[in-house]
Amino acid sequence: MQMIQEDRDEMAFSEIFDFFAPKINAYFIQNRIKSESSEELTQEVLSTVWLKSNLYDSKKSALSTWIFTIARNKKVDFFRKNSKINFKEEDIREFLYQDREVDLIEENEAKKQIEIINNELDEEQKIMIKMNFFENKSHKKIADELEIPLGTVKSRIRHILTKMQRYLR
Amino acid sequence: MNGTVVKNQLIFDFASGILGPAKSLFASTYLQINSNASRISTTFENILGENLINNENIHPKNLKYTDCINSNSENTKSITNAKDPVTSFFGNLDNLDWKQVYKGFKEYTATIDDKDELKLIKMDPGVSVPLHSHGGKEYILVLEGSFCDEYGDYSKGDIQINDQKIKHTPIASKDTGCVCLSITEKDVIFFGKYGSFLNLFTFIKSFFKPK
Repeated sequence: MQMIQEDRDEMAFSEIFDFFAPKINAYFIQNRIKSESSEELTQEVLSTVWLKSNLYDSKKSALSTWIFTIARNKKVDFFRKNSKINFKEEDIREFLYQDREVDLIEENEAKKQIEIINNELDEEQKIMIKMNFFENKSHKKIADELEIPLGTVKSRIRHILTKMQRYLR
Repeated sequence: MNGTVVKNQLIFDFASGILGPAKSLFASTYLQINSNASRISTTFENILGENLINNENIHPKNLKYTDCINSNSENTKSITNAKDPVTSFFGNLDNLDWKQVYKGFKEYTATIDDKDELKLIKMDPGVSVPLHSHGGKEYILVLEGSFCDEYGDYSKGDIQINDQKIKHTPIASKDTGCVCLSITEKDVIFFGKYGSFLNLFTFIKSFFKPK
């Protein structure tokens, strides 16, 4: 990333592209965006990575987190633009996800925290986090896919949230 | 579900990007003025970033890295708004057309197209709200000053989430009063042939809520 920031190194960018493009594209498709739009959005995300590379600060966050937040913001934008809801001129999406300067976690601390949380959660709980918060599937959909009752999904997700609370501070 | 879990749920949903506009504005303000909430959100974004690294690959069919380098910058407009979300959305709070509900208690309802209602509430020092409960879930975030009720003290950056079961008597701080941002999940609205009649009934009923 440093090579992109300092030398505008296109080869370095192509490596980031090769690794992340299929994963970002999959993220949009998992979030129920059709493939022609998902590719457009993937392009927008990686163009942002290239053009705004100076905004990335490795001390503040992992590259994957930075790229995830860009992709998420594009998703939010996309759904707002395509929703039936009429937005007034004073559209609020502009400033919803701005950089928060205060109290960002140092990367080392963040890594440690993720490691602890990863150790605490079992495979099924990790899958549920992914389905619920990354793919944004409804509890009903998760229940269908994992073939467990809806009530069980709800109580397990509540359990995960309670469990994570202990490690989030 | 305890209050902390509901707060985390709000933060996680915000980090996932699935909140409607009213709750998004509410949550982004919360993260802005509450450093603990901001840290939790960052941690959760890191977890979602990990999910991205480990995500499966679906290769884009018509996309090369050069397309990204040569793309025009129109789609990558950056967010340069440095003001806090509340000021950006509402402008200067002193200039708002506040509606006085009763003496010492004013509110301003945002015009925002969402199923949730977004409001600003201003209470003069020492003013209290009569004992009440709530139709839907209510989220309150303190922006300035503080208030207290039977459950505790709430100052800038603190959030209180109330559901139907909670009855309380909030009192604004004697020294500072308070300004809060609130979200109310709207009551059920009836549609169809008898809809208007049922809505009128709910409206009238709302004056006779259990005291």
